[in-house]
Amino acid sequence: MTAELARPAPTLPPMPNETELRLRRLERLRGLDSRLRTAAELIPPVRAPARAAPVEGRAERLAAAIGGRVLRTDEGPVVAVEQRTWLPFDPAPLASLPYPIEPGRPLLLLDTETTGLGTGAGTMAFLVAVGVWIDHELLVTQLWLPEQAAEAAFLSALAGLIPPDAWLVTYNGRTFDWPLLTTRYRLARRSPPAIAGHLDLLPVARQLFRHRLPDARLASVESGIAGVRRPEDLPGALIPGRYFEWLRSGYATCLRDVLDHNHQDVVSLGQLLVVIAERLATPAGRTRAHPEDLASLGRAYRRRGRPEEALGCLDAALALPDPERSANAGSFDRGRAWLDQASLFAATGRSQEAIEAWQQAAGCGGRNAVRAWIALAKHHEHRARDVPQALQAAEQAATLVARGRAFGRFDPWAERDLCRRLRRLRRRGLAATAAQRMRRPPVAGPSGHPTVQH
Amino acid sequence: MRLYEPRTTIDALDRFLAEPGVAAAVTAHRVIPARPADRRPIPDWLDPRLRSALAKRGIDALYTHQSDAIEALRDGHDVAVVTPTASGKSLCYNLPVLQAVAEDPAARALYLFPTKALSQDQTAELRELSALADLELVAGVYDGDTPAPIRTTIRAAGQVVVTNPDMLHSAILPHHTKWFQLFEQLRFIVVDEAHSYRGVFGSHVANVLRRLQRICEHYGTDPRIICCSATVGNPRELAETLTGRTIHVIDRNGAPSGEKHIVVLDPPPIDQRLGIRPGPVGLSRRAALSFIRAGRQTIVFGKSRVAVELLLSSLREALREGRGPLERIRGYRGGYLPSERRAIESGLRTGDILAVVSTNALELGIDIGRLDAAILAGYPGTIAGTWQQMGRSGRRQEVSVAILVAGAGAVDQYVATHPEYLFDSSPEEARLDPENLHVLLAHVRAATFELPFAPGDRFGAEAVDELLAFLGEEAHVRQADDGRWYWASENFPASEINLRVGAPENVVIIDTGGPRPRVIGEVDLFSAPTLVHENAIYLHESRQYHVDRLDWDERKAYVRPIDVDHYTQAELAVTLKPLEIFAEEVLPGGARTHGEVMVSTLATIYKKLKLDTHENLGWGRIHLPETELQTTAWWLAVDPDHVIGWRREALDMALVGAGRALQTVASVLLMSDPRDLGLVTQVRSPHSERPVVYLYESVPGGVGLSPRLFERHAQLLAGAGDLIASCPCDSGCPACVGPRGETGGAAKTLAIDLLNVVRHGSHEAERRQPRVA
Repeated sequence: MTAELARPAPTLPPMPNETELRLRRLERLRGLDSRLRTAAELIPPVRAPARAAPVEGRAERLAAAIGGRVLRTDEGPVVAVEQRTWLPFDPAPLASLPYPIEPGRPLLLLDTETTGLGTGAGTMAFLVAVGVWIDHELLVTQLWLPEQAAEAAFLSALAGLIPPDAWLVTYNGRTFDWPLLTTRYRLARRSPPAIAGHLDLLPVARQLFRHRLPDARLASVESGIAGVRRPEDLPGALIPGRYFEWLRSGYATCLRDVLDHNHQDVVSLGQLLVVIAERLATPAGRTRAHPEDLASLGRAYRRRGRPEEALGCLDAALALPDPERSANAGSFDRGRAWLDQASLFAATGRSQEAIEAWQQAAGCGGRNAVRAWIALAKHHEHRARDVPQALQAAEQAATLVARGRAFGRFDPWAERDLCRRLRRLRRRGLAATAAQRMRRPPVAGPSGHPTVQH
Repeated sequence: MRLYEPRTTIDALDRFLAEPGVAAAVTAHRVIPARPADRRPIPDWLDPRLRSALAKRGIDALYTHQSDAIEALRDGHDVAVVTPTASGKSLCYNLPVLQAVAEDPAARALYLFPTKALSQDQTAELRELSALADLELVAGVYDGDTPAPIRTTIRAAGQVVVTNPDMLHSAILPHHTKWFQLFEQLRFIVVDEAHSYRGVFGSHVANVLRRLQRICEHYGTDPRIICCSATVGNPRELAETLTGRTIHVIDRNGAPSGEKHIVVLDPPPIDQRLGIRPGPVGLSRRAALSFIRAGRQTIVFGKSRVAVELLLSSLREALREGRGPLERIRGYRGGYLPSERRAIESGLRTGDILAVVSTNALELGIDIGRLDAAILAGYPGTIAGTWQQMGRSGRRQEVSVAILVAGAGAVDQYVATHPEYLFDSSPEEARLDPENLHVLLAHVRAATFELPFAPGDRFGAEAVDELLAFLGEEAHVRQADDGRWYWASENFPASEINLRVGAPENVVIIDTGGPRPRVIGEVDLFSAPTLVHENAIYLHESRQYHVDRLDWDERKAYVRPIDVDHYTQAELAVTLKPLEIFAEEVLPGGARTHGEVMVSTLATIYKKLKLDTHENLGWGRIHLPETELQTTAWWLAVDPDHVIGWRREALDMALVGAGRALQTVASVLLMSDPRDLGLVTQVRSPHSERPVVYLYESVPGGVGLSPRLFERHAQLLAGAGDLIASCPCDSGCPACVGPRGETGGAAKTLAIDLLNVVRHGSHEAERRQPRVA
């Protein structure tokens, strides 16, 4: 056995690799390998023709079907569609907002339609819409990739639409559209177009409007905020399939819906920007704004370290009446706005105004009132050094918490806080009274106990 | 006499061998003489900063393999360094990479390690070396644990990116445009622990490397590849198949080593006649105690987590009785926290930890320093794995010891009774088959996603137009007007591939016993019918779970913890149909074939067996669809004319017995897990109308085991005959043709006769010749 093991092995007859055999094996695999037939891929009914139609003809057919024109370049054809929409807009007020935008630059709205949701190297952008304002009109140019092979021309044409000082405005473009386009340029071994800046409206809309919308998708935001209606919109999930259908069949009619969808996306983006500029960035507009939007904007200013503008927004919000109660109107959390205002006052050293705001919040009831009384208790204890007042405020809070509890609304944070606070305040109150009785100067607190506790 | 007394390693070994009953168990004791270091001066061209870093580490000369490697790389060769554990392999790639960075800070390198722990270890070492050299170096691990902000930094500025093949496959290559800074300046690709890339995993990794090289080509770089591997039988073939390059192999080890004693122990059988043997744990424990009591650093390898915990607790128990250093003995296995593992590793290096009991989690190149004794409780399954574990002991100057204690299984017994096999034959060959159609197709899809294919483009050695046309018909890719093939699907193909399993589909096991359902594990689709059928008892981390429901369409098994005294065993009805013959040769008494087969398995019933006595407590039916496996196989057909007059039962017994022996020898020959090869015997094959023994690969499409079986057919048959003949049991045991109860009394003779019929045309021919035991 050992001797035989050590004997050199005879050479292996080469594994047959003739085409015919391999094809036979592949054919058998087809029936077996479920991985090759995932549900998403069962759609294509037609078997692909051996070779696709020449790209020129494709571009012409596409242009004819969607009412565009063919741009011929050295690198191949691209199809472009231009449409103008009446949309008066003064971008200047945007400069005051706590968001990265320079209205002096050419604002460039951008939205892409892609062959998939990832940003990996195999997902292509086949349609890009670029919107710019010319006077009071929004000019939307939609560039179509007529065929996967024409991407070089497509990328050149797109780069031609983006001036280097452009300020990009997108919806979810920071994590999706722009990285995807960057990927396409990198893949073609080119530099992506230079831009001066980029404002992504998704986080902005989420911050300002989410409170009165079911979600922060563009469709929800445009209908809820800008009043856009899309009766026959193509669901986004179907778009890649439509493009593949066009690639396989060569019939462009299925792309008309995609064209409209993409166009409306960019127009909605423009309208959203108009609403933000008009209603939230000007004092006149703010009188017509939703108070909660304004309060949210105030918080955005505050996060950016601009307390005065934050106070301005909150003032404007608090000056407005509550929105009428209806399904989509959203509500205004007045108590929270008072609380925010109070803490801004406190942070800027305006104690008296802060106290007033807290008292306002305390009058609003609910959790905000609890927070307000606790804040007042803190203020009286640590700043005003008025233990009895502090104790009174804390007891007010405790009463509210107890009442909430009776109605089944628990506030564990406040309970924990008040438990400690009340104990300390009572002890300090007793110590102060005792000291007074002994005619000795009041002491800060029992030794070994932290005297300052927030 | 004091129980705990410091002794030399050799003294401790002598005492152990003199213990009662040990001498009888020794089947081999070899001494590998000490070898001095073989050194070369540090080359002049090396950057002075690196020279000084080496000097600070006390290195004034390089070992020959290190010197050969860096010179070959400098000459522009792709290199494979094949030397044993702890021979200073990482310097072979760290020096050239740091040299390149010293010459041009823009240079980049990509390191691939099979595990996360190794990535961390090696990055730390690289950083230490660059710090000693005062060389600014941004090196970072990019894996699933890397936080998002650090990922961005590594992408943009990482000069050395350390990752694993899975991450390269699913996160880096499909997003290569985000890594353009890396790919545009990539000078070196380091593939460490290349021996672990075998089987399905290796077949996948070879394809991932093809994709990597395609991307490099796209960015205009042609990096050098450095493979490092523990000893395998076919280092060149492994490295070349893996990388698709012509490789300069460096296997002259220049590192010194002290004298080493290797002992193979076979615990004597409890019942010779029935072939019942004890497990390896008892004798391993005794061996370990001898060295621990002598104060020698010892590592004990168990084959499973359970074995490790058992050994650990019994060692601690023994030490507690004798008031020994029980805190200095630690366990080490998967499931321990990384920080815990790091502490154990450094404790071993400093000597604070005297002994460690480990699974093969420590097999890979984690640095634990060099120990005095390595004890292997059970044959690790491969010669290469054995040498790797044995390599954990080995001092540069002093004597070291490695002891292999064989278990009761067939392969263990084969090795124990044929120790020369371990010493004299070259280590197994690492097999991988990047051309496996299932694997290849999946990666062609992923590659198309990453970069379109031009007509005639190669992927590996061959053009892939044919495969693309096939995928095109299925509408995953399409040929555009320019003739190139583009990805044309919304799917993300890399997410459909798991590099570490053959079948893409898994059944997820969900524990519904807790407050919230949680996933405790998964089994591949082919094993699911036998492991997680309804009412099965599924074992996970030595806990029992009852399978309440198996949702076959959703691929989910719902289980809950249970404590019962039995386990379940499913019976499979296996049918096998040959589909394609790749190669065939007529033998004196039959024929041998290599081809493609369809294996259909249907789980029929399950038995409930008592845990301790394996007594049958009842049974139930399994209602599951048949699973089909298309794979490659080697088979042996017997010429019916030569077995005229054999009774059908006798023939069946002979086929099963011979088949089991063939399966054992095949897994020994091919460095494969015994489960990688399935066995089917047919008394009268519906296909050829002959008696046939099939050994099929359990991975869809196979990983290249069956062509090797065809190639090494003579050894396989001779080995099987020899295994049966030299087995000391009377008439069949689990170590040869199978337990007596299953195969009947005459199985051994019948199986040998059958093998002789095939080899010589007659079973008489061989019998007349005197046989050497």
